Amino acid sequence: MSQTQTISLGAAAQEGLWGRIRTVASRRTEGRGLALLAVIVVVVALLEPLVFTAYQVTLGRIALVGLVALGLTVVILMGELDLSVASTLAVSGVIMASIPDLTLGILAALATGLIVGVINAFFVSVVGINSFIATLGMLFALRGLAFVISDEAPVSLTNKDAGIAFGQPLIGPLTPRILIFILVFIAIQVFISRVKAGREFFAVGGNRQAARDAGIPVTRRIFTGFMISGFVASLAGVINTLERTTADPTAGSTVLLASFAAAIIGGNYLKGGRGSIVGTLIGAAALGILQVALTLSGVQVPVQQIFIGVILLVAVTTDPNSLRSVAGSLRTLRQGRAKSPGS
Amino acid sequence: MSETTVKEDKQQVAVVEERQAARVLTWISENGIFIFTAVLIIFALIFVDGFASLINITDVFHRAAPIGIVAVGMTFVVISGNYLDLSVVAQVATAGVILIAVSNSYGIPLAILAALAAACLFALVNGTAVGVFKANAVIVTLSTTFIGLGLLRFFSGGSIFFGPPDGPIRAFGLGKIGPVPYSAIVLIIMTILLSLLLNRTNFGFLVKSFGVNEQATRLGGTNTSLVIIGAFLVTAVAAMIGGFVLAAFSNTAVSNDGVGYEFEALAAIIVGGTSVFGGRGSIYRTFLGVIFVSVLTNILVLFGIGFGYQQVALGVLIVLAVSIDALGRKVSKR
Amino acid sequence: MRKSRVTFAASMLAAAALTLAACGGSDDSSSADAGGEETAAEETVEETVEESGDGEAAEEEVIDNSDGPFEVYALLPQGNDQPYGTTYLPPMEEKAAELGINLTITNSEYDADKQASECEVAVAAQPDGIILWPAVADSIRPCLEAANNAGIPVWITNADVNPEDTDLTFGYSGTDSYGQGAASAEMMCEFADGAEIGVIQVNGLTGNSVATLRGNGFKETVAELCPNVTILAEQPGNWNKDESQIAASEMLTAVGPENVQGIYAADDTMVAGAIDAAKAQGLDLDSLIVTSIGNTFLGNPLVEAGELDGTVFQSSSWDGENAVVGIYRAMTGDTSLGRDDEGSVLYMPNPKVTIQNWDDPAVAPEW
Repeated sequence: MSQTQTISLGAAAQEGLWGRIRTVASRRTEGRGLALLAVIVVVVALLEPLVFTAYQVTLGRIALVGLVALGLTVVILMGELDLSVASTLAVSGVIMASIPDLTLGILAALATGLIVGVINAFFVSVVGINSFIATLGMLFALRGLAFVISDEAPVSLTNKDAGIAFGQPLIGPLTPRILIFILVFIAIQVFISRVKAGREFFAVGGNRQAARDAGIPVTRRIFTGFMISGFVASLAGVINTLERTTADPTAGSTVLLASFAAAIIGGNYLKGGRGSIVGTLIGAAALGILQVALTLSGVQVPVQQIFIGVILLVAVTTDPNSLRSVAGSLRTLRQGRAKSPGS
Repeated sequence: MSETTVKEDKQQVAVVEERQAARVLTWISENGIFIFTAVLIIFALIFVDGFASLINITDVFHRAAPIGIVAVGMTFVVISGNYLDLSVVAQVATAGVILIAVSNSYGIPLAILAALAAACLFALVNGTAVGVFKANAVIVTLSTTFIGLGLLRFFSGGSIFFGPPDGPIRAFGLGKIGPVPYSAIVLIIMTILLSLLLNRTNFGFLVKSFGVNEQATRLGGTNTSLVIIGAFLVTAVAAMIGGFVLAAFSNTAVSNDGVGYEFEALAAIIVGGTSVFGGRGSIYRTFLGVIFVSVLTNILVLFGIGFGYQQVALGVLIVLAVSIDALGRKVSKR
Repeated sequence: MRKSRVTFAASMLAAAALTLAACGGSDDSSSADAGGEETAAEETVEETVEESGDGEAAEEEVIDNSDGPFEVYALLPQGNDQPYGTTYLPPMEEKAAELGINLTITNSEYDADKQASECEVAVAAQPDGIILWPAVADSIRPCLEAANNAGIPVWITNADVNPEDTDLTFGYSGTDSYGQGAASAEMMCEFADGAEIGVIQVNGLTGNSVATLRGNGFKETVAELCPNVTILAEQPGNWNKDESQIAASEMLTAVGPENVQGIYAADDTMVAGAIDAAKAQGLDLDSLIVTSIGNTFLGNPLVEAGELDGTVFQSSSWDGENAVVGIYRAMTGDTSLGRDDEGSVLYMPNPKVTIQNWDDPAVAPEW
C-alpha cells in the first residue's frame, strides 16, 4: 500500500467563513478604495459632521460625479476609455433645452447619448482606432457642437417650473437626482454581475483575443459598453439641465477627470478586465464626501486643491501592488549594493 | 482546361491588385501626416487669402511654438506607454510665472534656476509615483496638476505678472529671423535634440522598449524607475521651456496660462502618428502634428469660422487622421 | 454569492459610519475656517437642513449677532485663479473682519453645476447670510429658492441675476457687464465721429457669462448708436494676452489690415495683446481707435501712452467691499427681500478712462 501524501493547502484554501472571506477579499479590487473611504469618513465625521447630518447634500454631490463615473466604468472594464463623456453631457443638455417640448427634449437628449456611444464604438471596433484618441476627437467635436447649437450662450428651458420641481426632494429628503443615481447603480451592477452579456465585459477587457476565441461577440459588447457610457452621460446632462433650468454648453469640464479619479480610486484597472461598479461607487463617495467637507471647512480654495491632489496621489500610490513593487525595488537596490564590494 | 487557367489568372491578378492596394494604403498610413500637412499647406496657399504673408507665417509659428515645445517633450511619456502627462498645464503656468515674477526682482539667471527646480520637482513626483510605485499615470499627473496649480495660486495669488517693456525677455519674444520667431527656432532645435535623445541614446531606446513591453524591460535588469523619471523629466523641462516661450511672447504670466495644453499636445502627438499604446513614434512626427494643427486652426480663423466650428473641425480631423492610419495598418496586416 | 456578501459588508460599513456620524454629529454648525476659530452657537441646525419646497415665503429675519460673529458663505465663480478675483478677495475679507463676519469662500470656476452644489452645501450649513456671485445667471434660481426657503438672506455681487429672479434677493452691488460693453462701444462711436470704419472684436472666454454680456453690449450699442462702425471679425481671446495677440493678428490678416480702423477687446489684458498684434502688422496706433474694459495695471500705461484710446474702470475693491456691506445690511434688516428698500441696488459706476483722466486717482488701477 502506498503512502498517501497529503498536501497541505495554504491559508487561503481553508474552509469556513474566515477562509472564504480571505479568498474573496484577496480577489476584490475595492480594498484600497474602501480603506480610503473609511479614513475619510472617520476624519470628516470628527471634523465636519455636517457632511453627514446634511447627508442629502453630500449624496447629491456624490451623484454629480458618480453618475458619469458609473457609465465610464463599464467602458473601462472592457479595456477602453471614453473621454467624450463630459462633452456628451453638455451637448445633450443643450439639445434638450433647445427643444420647447420637455418630453421630446429629454428623449432627444438621451438619444444623443446613445448615438454618441454608437459612433465611439464604431471607430473603436470597426475602424480600429485606439479609444483614447477616438473619444478625444469626440470630446473636441461634441464640445464644438454644443457651442454651435447653443450659440455659445446658456440655453434656458422653456418649462422652467418642471426643472425647479425636479430639484425638489421626492422620497424623504432624496431628490430625483439621487434616486436616479441609485437606480442606475443597481441597474449597471446587476448587468455587470448577473447578466451574461455584462459579465463578458470583464473577458473583453482582460484578454480580447481569448474572449473572441471563446466565442464572445466582442464587437457587440463594445457597442453596448459605449452606448451605456454615452447614455449615462446624456442622462447626467438631462438631470443637470433640469436642476439648473438652463443648459450650459461649457458644462462637464470638472466631471471628466473626477469620474476617472473615482473609477481608479475604486480599484478599476485602466487596462481593463479587473474592477467593479461598487468600486466606482466607493471612489465617488470618497471624493464627494471629501469635496463637501473641504467646502464646509472654509479653508482657502487653493489649499483645498492641494489637499485633494495630495490625497489622490497618496491613494493611488499606496495600493498593495505599488507597495510591493517599491519593496521589490528597495530590495534589489540593497542587494546590488551588497554584491559590489569584492564579490 | 483553358477556363480554369483564365480563372486562376484572374485570381492571381486580383491578389496582386489587392496587395498593391494594401501597399498603397500602408504607405499612406505610415506617411499620412506628411501628406496631410503638405496638402493642407498647399490648400492654404491657394485658397486662403493672406495665408502666405510674412505676418501670417509668423503667427502660425507663434501658435505652434509653445505647444509644440511641450508636445515634443511629452512624446517621451506617451512613447513610454504612460498615456500622457496632464500636469504640463500646471508646469507651463508655473514656469512662466516664476520666470517673470522672479526675474523682475532677482534677475533672469535666478529665475531660470528656480523654474528648473520646480520642473525637477514635478518630474520627481510624477516619475517616482509612476515608475517606482507603478501607479496609473493619468491619476498621478491629475493629482500633481491639482497640487501644482494649488501651490501656484496660493503663492502667486492669481495676479498677472508682467516684465519690463524693454527687458531681454520682451526682446526674445519679439525677435525673429525672417518670418521665423525665436520661439519657433527653439522648437526646431528642441525637436532635433530630443529626436537624437530618443533614437541615438540608450535612454531613448529604453523609453521605447518600456512602451513596447514593460515586463521585458524590467526583467532586462535596467533600473526602469530611472527611465520613467527621465521621461517625465524631459517632459518637465520641455514644459518649462514652453512656459518661458509663452511668457516671453506676451511679456506677461498668470496662473491660468496654458489651459488646454495637455489635450492639445496629445492631439498633436497622436495625429503625428505616435501610438497611444506606446513603443512607436518619433519626435519629428510630433513636430509635424503640431504644425498641422496650428495651420489648421490658422486657416479656420482666417476663414472667420467661429470657435464652436473650430472645435468640431479639430475633432473630426483628429479622428479622420487616425482612422486612415488605423485602416492602413489593418489592411497591411492581411 | 460571495460578491454580494462583500457588497453587503461594504454597505453595512457605510451605513454604520453614517449612523455613527448622525448620532455623534452635534448641532453646532461650526465650520473650522482658516483662522481656526470655533464659532459657537449662533445658528442651530435643529430645524434640519431641509431645503424642501414648502413654498413658504421667507420671513424677514433680523439676526442678532450679540452671540458672536456672523457666519456668511460667499459663493464665487472666481478667486485666486484670476487676476480680478485675486484683488476682489482681500478687500472683501478686510471688510468682513471689520464688521464681525466670518467668511467661508468657495470658487466654482464658472461651473454652474459646481456652484449649485456649493449652494446646497451653503444652505445646509445654515449661515446668517449668503453672498452670491452667479456663475451663470440663468441657472441660479433654484439656489435662490432654496436659500429663501431656509430663511437665509442672499446678496448678489458683481453679476446680477435675471430680472425675474430679483425678487428672491435682498440686494445687488456690482458691475453691469452689458453696460461695460456698452460704455466701451460709446467711446468707440465717439472717437469714430461718424466716419465709416471697420473694427475687429476680441471676446472673452467662449460661453463665459461676462464675456457674452460684454460682447453683446458692445455689438448692440454700436449697431444702435453708430451704424457707421462695422464689426468685421470677432474671435475669442480667452482673457489671455498671448491668445488674443494671435487671434487679433489672424483677424487682421483675414480682413486685411488696411480695412481696420478700430479694435475692441473685452478686457485690458486682451487689448494689450491686440495692440501688440497691430504693431507687428505695421499699423499706426495713432490712427487706430482702440477701446476695452478694466483700466488695469496692464491697461492704464497703455492709455497714458496713447495706444489705448479708451477703457472703462472696474474696481475690484469696491466690488468686494460692497458685497460684504450689502450682506451685513441684509442680515441686520436694513434691506429686505425684493429689493424695494433704498440702497438695495448699487451699481458700480462705469467711468470711462481716456487720455484725459488716466491719472485721476479715482480711477487708479486695482488689478
